Amino acid sequence: MEKIYLAIAFTPLIGAIIAGFAGARIGRAGAHWVTSVGVGISALLSIYVLLGFISGDRQTFNGTVYHWMVSDGITFEVGFLVDTLTALMMSVVTFVSLCVHVYTIGYMSHDEENWPGGSLAGTNSYQRFFSYISLFTFSMLMLVMSNNFLQLFFGWEAVGLVSYLLIGFWSVRESAIFANLKAFLVNRVGDFGFLLGIAAVAMYFNSISYVDVFAKAPELADTQIQICGVSLSLMSVICILLFIGAMGKSAQVPLHVWLPDSMEGPTPISALIHAATMVTAGIFMVARMSPLYELSETALSFVLIIGATTAFFTGLIGIVQNDIKRVVAYSTLSQLGYMTVALGASAYAAGIFHLMTHAFFKALLFLAAGSVIIAMHHDQDIRNMGGLKKYMPITYWTSLIGTLALIGFPGMSGFFSKDSIIEAVHHSSIPGSGYAYLMVILGVFVTALYSFRMFFLVFHGKERMDEHTRHHLQESPRVVTVPLILLAIPSVFIGAMTVGGVVFGDWFQGVIYVAPQHDVVGELAKGYHGVLGFIMHGLFGLPTFLAAAGFGTAYYIYMKNPDIADRIKGSAALLHKLLDKKYFFDELYQFLFAGGSRGLGNALWKGGDRVLIDGMVVNGSARMVGVLAAFIRHLQTGYLYHYAFAMILGLLALLALFVI
Amino acid sequence: MQFEASSLIPVLPEIFILSVACFVLVVDLFMEDRQRIISYFLTQAGLLVAVLVTLGVSQPEAQVVFDGSYVRDGMSDALKIGIYLISFVAFLYAKDYLRERDLFKGEYFVLGLFAVLGMMVMVSAYSFLTAYLGLELLSLSLYAMVAFDRDSKAGSEAAMKYFVLGAIASGMLLYGISMIYGATGSIEFEKVAAALTGTGMENKVLVFGLVFVVIGLAFKLGAVPFHMWMPDVYHGAPVTVTLFLGSAPKLAAFALAMRLLVDGLGPLHADWQGMLVVLAVLSMALGNVIAIAQTNIKRMLAYSTISHVGFILLGILAGTSEGYSASMFYTIVYAITSLGGFGIVILLSRQGFEAENLEDYKGLHERSPWFAAMMMLLMFSMAGVPPTVGFWAKLFVLDAVVSVDLVWVALVGVFFSIIGAFYYIRIVKLMYFDKPEAGELVTAGMDTRVVLSINGALMLVLGLFPAGLLALCARAIG
Amino acid sequence: MTFEKFLFYVFSAILVFAATMVITRRNPVHSALFLVLAFFTSSILWMLLEAEFLAIVLVLVYVGAVMVLFLFVVMMLDIDQAAMRAGFIKMLPVGLLVAGIMAVEMFLVVGPKYFGLDKYAMPAPHPADYSNTEELGNVLYTIYMYPVEIASVILLVGIIAAIGLTLRRRPDNKRIDPALQVQVKKGPDRIRVVKMPAEKKMEAK
Repeated sequence: MEKIYLAIAFTPLIGAIIAGFAGARIGRAGAHWVTSVGVGISALLSIYVLLGFISGDRQTFNGTVYHWMVSDGITFEVGFLVDTLTALMMSVVTFVSLCVHVYTIGYMSHDEENWPGGSLAGTNSYQRFFSYISLFTFSMLMLVMSNNFLQLFFGWEAVGLVSYLLIGFWSVRESAIFANLKAFLVNRVGDFGFLLGIAAVAMYFNSISYVDVFAKAPELADTQIQICGVSLSLMSVICILLFIGAMGKSAQVPLHVWLPDSMEGPTPISALIHAATMVTAGIFMVARMSPLYELSETALSFVLIIGATTAFFTGLIGIVQNDIKRVVAYSTLSQLGYMTVALGASAYAAGIFHLMTHAFFKALLFLAAGSVIIAMHHDQDIRNMGGLKKYMPITYWTSLIGTLALIGFPGMSGFFSKDSIIEAVHHSSIPGSGYAYLMVILGVFVTALYSFRMFFLVFHGKERMDEHTRHHLQESPRVVTVPLILLAIPSVFIGAMTVGGVVFGDWFQGVIYVAPQHDVVGELAKGYHGVLGFIMHGLFGLPTFLAAAGFGTAYYIYMKNPDIADRIKGSAALLHKLLDKKYFFDELYQFLFAGGSRGLGNALWKGGDRVLIDGMVVNGSARMVGVLAAFIRHLQTGYLYHYAFAMILGLLALLALFVI
Repeated sequence: MQFEASSLIPVLPEIFILSVACFVLVVDLFMEDRQRIISYFLTQAGLLVAVLVTLGVSQPEAQVVFDGSYVRDGMSDALKIGIYLISFVAFLYAKDYLRERDLFKGEYFVLGLFAVLGMMVMVSAYSFLTAYLGLELLSLSLYAMVAFDRDSKAGSEAAMKYFVLGAIASGMLLYGISMIYGATGSIEFEKVAAALTGTGMENKVLVFGLVFVVIGLAFKLGAVPFHMWMPDVYHGAPVTVTLFLGSAPKLAAFALAMRLLVDGLGPLHADWQGMLVVLAVLSMALGNVIAIAQTNIKRMLAYSTISHVGFILLGILAGTSEGYSASMFYTIVYAITSLGGFGIVILLSRQGFEAENLEDYKGLHERSPWFAAMMMLLMFSMAGVPPTVGFWAKLFVLDAVVSVDLVWVALVGVFFSIIGAFYYIRIVKLMYFDKPEAGELVTAGMDTRVVLSINGALMLVLGLFPAGLLALCARAIG
Repeated sequence: MTFEKFLFYVFSAILVFAATMVITRRNPVHSALFLVLAFFTSSILWMLLEAEFLAIVLVLVYVGAVMVLFLFVVMMLDIDQAAMRAGFIKMLPVGLLVAGIMAVEMFLVVGPKYFGLDKYAMPAPHPADYSNTEELGNVLYTIYMYPVEIASVILLVGIIAAIGLTLRRRPDNKRIDPALQVQVKKGPDRIRVVKMPAEKKMEAK
């Protein structure tokens, strides 16, 4: 039983090691074969495990793989906890990863053009890329399969590392370096909170194993702790700290600023890491910690409000972006906001469900965008596109599916997940749920607006590209289109197929804990009468009308009457400026944090480091040790009788000290 | 008193190694110089078979035979196997070096095997007499090995110093043992310990004897101020002997300390703890500081050994079973690390050239990136940088000391290991950031390369997965 | 004071005197001879403790074998006595000081305070027919079999080490190879008649 889990987690690692260290020897084909086959095996086994859970043959597994150490009564180990939640995540991660591996073969086939001639970093970049994405798959699997906080943290940091490496993959580009540094620093803020949260768990629970912590949580539910004289609920502190980590990784306001910039990385990465899997780690983590979150209404409220804010306001930004990948990135931010809202409303199942459907359709949208980018010779500005429909039919139709799924067209996968979230928030009574409901319901309109704006600008209307590009426009090769089709299938059907089981059924029975007073999904389940009923109900619901309105607006502005867009831009210049500058978050952070800490650093460096530390402590002590050493070495004279005499002196000293 | 043949079973490993040693001695007489390799292979095969023999006679519970002179328990089995394997690797590294210098003689391996036998006797000693005899057997073999290169003046001088100082230390040890015998009326550990539990602490004679015993041990381990022989001997001896001297006998010395202080004089823990604190603190301080001023890598590693001995003592002085197993872990890790470190020195030495000076390591990365990486791992492990295993070793002994409320000793340890990190990392700096002076490539046999690579990689592997070795040590201490 | 005690003090005094002379005599032969004296007196002290076997072994082995060998070596070597003595006077005060402290420390512990008869009862004297040698013989190869075996291995190592470190075949050395000697056959191998003129004529320069 354990072996299959080991195989799932470690085959991608083996692939990554081979492609990474022996990349030059095995060549390009060797690298993509070894990693794709590794992830393929992992994906097949994951789906096998998932099917086992669906049929009920497979039981929850919780076991230690490697016992690392025991310190102060806390056991540190590598272990797997595989239950329905994990199995779902594993399947999603490995499936999307497999699609991305295949897609990358096509996308990166001309990677050498992205490097300046003779660049050392460009050597074997193709193999390195494959090594990274396989390593990412391994890290992500370790994260979701973990049965303890330490391994969770390891996976958390490892996916962060790979994300950092991949955002800056084209390390010769100034903007890529800036973006990966930014992602790294912003994630530090989140990870600091996360680490504090884990430390608090270790301190008060005296264990870092999920099972122990969850079992002990109810006992500590009412514990108050004193921080700087303020009495706080332990559970709220732990949950909010952990959620700060999730805010960094899952890009929630105000730690969302890194995600749009991460689009500097190659497109497959945006699909895999910055849309489908890594950014959802925060969502997964909160769902996994549901037994803790349920004990703190404060934390849930916090989660809800942050999520709702993210969902609406980042969606607005998407309307004014012109880079095709950035539009999708802001859409990702907004959808992550939806998932977070679901968590805050205690509708964990709905959140995870949206995570799953989103993984498919957002990976699809990104890969489709990548396909467009390939055709456009790496021009990403949608103002230069238009009318691509006739050149790229497969990309067009799959994009349409992705877009419909994203806006929640009834019957598509996104419809089920988004509707359940909106309904859940509607039923929730946690403080802030009114605000959240308003935000998510308006978000539906915004989503439809920016999605179709992009869709129309790219695939319909005038062909605005230059003559040379138009001449070369063609559908992407099969390694690119096959993953698109593969992802399009679940984007359409996965929602209808699984909504009954995952959200309203007992799929997460015993895995996700919801306190009775928060059980909004249970409320919804009472009104759930099969998929068709859900669609019929949704068809006449407010969200569908809003989505239709969004579609209509987009159609009117960008298809019928393109001048309106400019006129609106002119008349609402201030608003446009605000959105275009993304609420000035970047400027604020750069001025306040980046500038401030550099100023502080400079001051400390000049005052503290160079004078005090370097001058006195480091160099001073080094000099002193040097002088001391040079002196003492003369004691080693080489004369036998000196040595013997030293022994006698030692004897005398010991006798005098301990006997007399 | 009846003799039972079955009581010979636990002693089979010793009997086996003795037989191999005598066999090699005799076979070697009838061989031409070019067939000398047969002695080498016989020795190595003997060591490997000894592992099987030891595993074969191993049992969960301890056995005491020969009327309380000999014990076979978990610790003795584990350490003996460690000694065989480390000696095996030490001989393997030595082979090519000795052949190039016309030192490839049967006596080298015979003496080595007798040294192994001496270590085994120490590891399994259960009376002061056996412990002392094992120590002498080991020392005598080592004296001869240090002087093995008869044309080297430094070697002869080192052997002379080692011999005379060793004799003084043995004399002190014997004097201490005689005091303890006088006070307790026995030389068997079990009876001594039993007698001590009765008498209590007020008997000064015991403490008086204890001081001498501790000094004997401190000399063997090389703790300050009984360390003076180490730099000269490490420096003067052929590097293959230094390698052997610096690795396996440390396990035996650890075992000797455990047998004498814990098994024999355990009830006097409060007394010897203080003495070991003094020795440990002095060793960590002096070893690390003087090592910085060295330009010869053999001398530098000698001082580094002195500082590591300080750490080994930390675990023992804690006096808890966690401390003992931490100490054992440290000793094993140190022996493996030191094996690798000197292995690199041997690797880089060629006919007529000893890679003894720090300058010889300049730009190693350009000459041989792989072994530069191995050396870096080894140096990091010695310095205690995570994720190498040296970090865990230090962490565990420090943890043991802290848990008995000797926080200041732990702080001293940390402080001096920071100072010590300087000279380890200096080598890394020389290898990676300086331009090479000599252009020659590494010219070692495939066996050395492979084993040395494993040795270096082990630093990282054990660093990532320390639990196995740790569990082994914990089980051995029981 | 009993007669035994009197003997003890007399021989102890001689022993201390002889030991001092060993390290202070200029002539190494004198030193060696004083060492012989020291051995003799300590052997007598053992005799007083009824350890007859040890006493005899001490005389036989150390005086009879070791010291004789030692004397040969000392007489054969040309030792530069002046070099040996250099620094003796300079170091003497420090040496005396350390020795003094050591003596005080040892006296404080190994005195009657801790080793008195009240702490350790005097062992009962053995009957006249008690054989020290027999007792030793009884335990040496039974209870102490293991240590004795190890001791024998140590001796073996000593032999190997001594031979290994000293035996060397120099090509310019004139040496006899017995193996070749016995293979010599009768006839021309064994004896060769060489004709030589009884007197060589002086050649004119």
